[in-house]
Amino acid sequence: MSVVKRPEGKANWYLPGILTGMMITIKHMIFNLTHRKQMITIQYPEERYPYSDRFKGNHILTVKKDGSLRCTACMLCATYCPAECISITAAEHDDPSVEKYPISYEIDILRCVFCGLCEEACPVDAIRMGPEHQTAAIAGENFIYDINKLAYRSGLKGGVQSKVDDEERHSRGL
Amino acid sequence: MENRLLLKHYNEPGYHTLDGYVKFGGYTALKKALKMKPEDIITEVKNSGLRGRGGAGFSTGMKWSFLPNNNEPRYLLCNADEGEPGTFKDRYMMELAPHQVIEGMICSAFAIKSKKSYIYIRGEYYKPYKIVEKAIQEAYKAGFLGKNILGSGFDHDLDVYRGAGAYIVGEETALISSLEGKKGQPKLKPPFPAVQGYLRKPTIVNNVETLAAVTWILNNGAAAYRKFGTEKSTGTKVYSVSGNINKPGVYEVDLAYPFKDFLENECGGMKEGFKFKALIPGGSSCPVLTAEEALKSTLDYENMASLGTMLGSGGVIIIDDKQCMVDLLNVLMHFYHHESCGQCTPCREGTGWLEKLTSSIGKGKSQLDDVATLDKVARHMMGTTICALSDAAALPVVSFLSKFKDEFEYHIREKRCKVKGNCHAQAHH
Amino acid sequence: MPKLTIDGKPVEVAAGTSVIKAAQTLNIPIAHYCWHEGLSVAGACRMCMVEIEKNPKLQIACNTPVAEGMVVHTNNDKVKDAVKWALDFHLINHPLDCPICDQAGECKLQDYYMNYGLYSPEMNQRKVKKSKAMSLGDRVVLDQERCILCSRCVRFTTEVSKTHELGIFNRGDRCELSTFEGRPLNNNYSLNTVDICPVGALTSKDFRFKQRVWFLKDFETLCNGCSTGCNVTVSYNQNGVFRVRPRVNQEVNGFWMCDEGRDIYKHTNKEFRLDQVIERNDQVGGAAVKGKPVALAIQEIGKSLSATVKKGGLESIALVVTAQYTVEEYEALFELFKNTVKSPHVYYWKNNEEDFDSFDGLLNRGDKNPNTKGLSDTMTKFGFKGTWEDFEKQATSKSFQYVVVAGPEDQSAYPDLEKKLEILNKAGEVIWLSSCKNEKFKNFKWQIPMKSFLEKEGTFVNFKGIKQNIKAGMSIIPTSLSLQEFSKGVFESMGGMA
Repeated sequence: MSVVKRPEGKANWYLPGILTGMMITIKHMIFNLTHRKQMITIQYPEERYPYSDRFKGNHILTVKKDGSLRCTACMLCATYCPAECISITAAEHDDPSVEKYPISYEIDILRCVFCGLCEEACPVDAIRMGPEHQTAAIAGENFIYDINKLAYRSGLKGGVQSKVDDEERHSRGL
Repeated sequence: MENRLLLKHYNEPGYHTLDGYVKFGGYTALKKALKMKPEDIITEVKNSGLRGRGGAGFSTGMKWSFLPNNNEPRYLLCNADEGEPGTFKDRYMMELAPHQVIEGMICSAFAIKSKKSYIYIRGEYYKPYKIVEKAIQEAYKAGFLGKNILGSGFDHDLDVYRGAGAYIVGEETALISSLEGKKGQPKLKPPFPAVQGYLRKPTIVNNVETLAAVTWILNNGAAAYRKFGTEKSTGTKVYSVSGNINKPGVYEVDLAYPFKDFLENECGGMKEGFKFKALIPGGSSCPVLTAEEALKSTLDYENMASLGTMLGSGGVIIIDDKQCMVDLLNVLMHFYHHESCGQCTPCREGTGWLEKLTSSIGKGKSQLDDVATLDKVARHMMGTTICALSDAAALPVVSFLSKFKDEFEYHIREKRCKVKGNCHAQAHH
Repeated sequence: MPKLTIDGKPVEVAAGTSVIKAAQTLNIPIAHYCWHEGLSVAGACRMCMVEIEKNPKLQIACNTPVAEGMVVHTNNDKVKDAVKWALDFHLINHPLDCPICDQAGECKLQDYYMNYGLYSPEMNQRKVKKSKAMSLGDRVVLDQERCILCSRCVRFTTEVSKTHELGIFNRGDRCELSTFEGRPLNNNYSLNTVDICPVGALTSKDFRFKQRVWFLKDFETLCNGCSTGCNVTVSYNQNGVFRVRPRVNQEVNGFWMCDEGRDIYKHTNKEFRLDQVIERNDQVGGAAVKGKPVALAIQEIGKSLSATVKKGGLESIALVVTAQYTVEEYEALFELFKNTVKSPHVYYWKNNEEDFDSFDGLLNRGDKNPNTKGLSDTMTKFGFKGTWEDFEKQATSKSFQYVVVAGPEDQSAYPDLEKKLEILNKAGEVIWLSSCKNEKFKNFKWQIPMKSFLEKEGTFVNFKGIKQNIKAGMSIIPTSLSLQEFSKGVFESMGGMA
């Protein structure tokens, strides 16, 4: 067993330590008061720190040109999800070239571990993890994100489109 | 020199009628045959060394002897579904001498103890169909068909059946399926038609020319037939010749006739301004020969086999230097893609793939490795299907690529045709 | 009996056997799509290529009969290359639908690609386009692009169901599977075509998009839809049962089962089940009291039965049984009635009498109970002879104190249920044992939830007398009982009277 041995006398003298700490705090306080523009702390939530696009934050379901979901309900994300937080209900689409689509797509955001495997499993670029990370809510059920929240929440401005072009792929029969 | 055994009287007016045919010695073979024992006829045909003229070149006498020795009804089918591109000899024979074929059929039917036979004629052959139908009626009237033929006690009925125009029905099991009223696609072997064919009864399928040759053999004897040709390829063969030559048409020459003489004498040489570039000796499914190879060859089964090709149905296609090989192959692939019955996967999917590849090479939309892909696809289609259609599509590809690769690569590299003449493949682009 | 060697292993099989079957006896897998043991040989997919020594070309194992001294190789480089190419030819025009295809996960194209393929595709041309998501009939959907034209389904409708709805039309790579004009695929065996389809071309409307197959677990049991007793595999997960497929048993059902039998799972799922005890409480005007613990309910039933036995003697308690329970359950219940309740009033409730003996010529029988034979045998064993007619004669009005009814699990097989319920109610206080709920049961004194055939084990005896076992594969209603458990509970609460 390793035991940290402190010099007995000095350990009992705590006042010098506190004073040193206070000195540092006061130094920074004065610096911040005189140089307000260089301050590191931001005024959350009025100010927000811009994360990189690659930040694994809240999920986004991408949409097609017409605004409908890209998701084909293949359930590969649900299969790979280590937290088992994705549940999808599929249904038959009227258009036989679309065939299958999700009528419900729910992510239990509290169970989600933000690993990003859903994003990687997706064969059609339908789910992404976006830069948003604020997941506050008042009631428990608000943590279960449905299609409306995942694809059309106000921050997404009507939905995010994928760059993969379906029509071209379909016409080539790929 | 042309040696007309079968086509001897073809220029006589009225030879297609019964009177005209009898005037020049018709139905003597039948009279002779009815006095012989059926087994002796089979032996005679076997001795003559006659080989099937439809394409495979299998010994006719041998084929007949595969019939099981029982009392089941047998059927004789005459394969007049002549669909091989470049072949038109059967049409010519049926139009000008239908009785020769009918007589051959009755003799053969007597030999194999069949009471019912059919001529399966290609749907597009309307005129020959009418002529053959009329000839059959004449034969019935004259007592050559029907009950108790010429007092011999042998009954035989003959019908003619029009196909719907599918190339694949030229394959004997597909012909049987079609005749049974099913979709014309080949059947699995075994069982072979000689054991279980039409209506699951023993069936023999012979080509028009083969049956006409049986008539000649019975008239003149096996020994006389063997005088022509070589030891293994006996007799004469009828060729249909097409291409930019002076005298395209149907010719009958001895087997093992040198091709060089054939081209210069019978065909009258190349048309002015055209140079002989390549030869497809036996219809479109046979591998191509370069001019050099072709001019050294003789027209018989063995020599052609030694050159890696086949005598096939005798559809001699002469290709000149103004023809683009890529275009030609694309046309052939379009044909096989269109005609694949779709039963076996390698052929169904492969023929389409080959056509798409040759077409994109023709249009200059390919990369160089597509030539290798084309070759690989063709090689893996060979020998993998129920019938030989996938081989028929693959063999030309492999031979075109091995002998005229430069034209394909030129199309890809330069995005235009090397021979510059009438390249449709590129024109589409 | 020719002897041959396959991959170095000697085997002796009957003359005329095909190489692929001989290989099966040795557990040597040979890739195939069109070959199916229950159908004729088509020889069209060209996947089962094997090398036979002294034969220059590779041969298809499905149509090559074995011969004495044959030496077969199924796994050398030549064969592997041929199979790889045969697979490639299947795949060049096959759409990349796997994400939305129901077959994904149990697709033979995927399986063989992992075994023989693993190449990067060389096909860079446009694929052939065909129709997608076509409805072929009430139960089957066709995707022509996914179809590999193996013709299994066509042969099934020609050879097995003999209904001839399907055909392959056109030629070459324009070939399309479809139904004939005006003849939708609506026969009672249509879903077998979905089972035998090696790819996702034919899918079941019922199962379509409900689950991905890898979320499902399987267990083997019997169909309880009729007295044939087809062997089936049930696929389920925590959300319930999703599909029922046939399992091979040459003695009983061969390879097939009917479409009707595939719906049997529906009445076992939670939403249709009686999931708690329901008691009619006369003190509050006959209102239904729900949720009494099962053990307590059994105790009360036992007490009231024993009180009746002590008071009223022989005539007071009757038992009516349907043929939807296992032999073991009948034995326990009859034991209880013969030795403890000591009532001779045991009656067999026969359903749909008009078409009871009908048979469609293939599998489906009019007797919609899995264990008619087992019930009648067990009744004979215990000396009970009562039929429904006898019961009706006896049951004019309140002739019994209690009528214990082992009711049907599948009520759809009992078309005259309502009429019979009236008679039961008239005869006495009904103690209704059943797995299914129904509003019409409200007059019953007790409703006790029973296990469905998926939750219990036991023996069914089919119409031929073949004894087959069902297994407890899953638990749907945890509080439900089997008849053994019910009988044991009643016996104990009756004080073990003998």
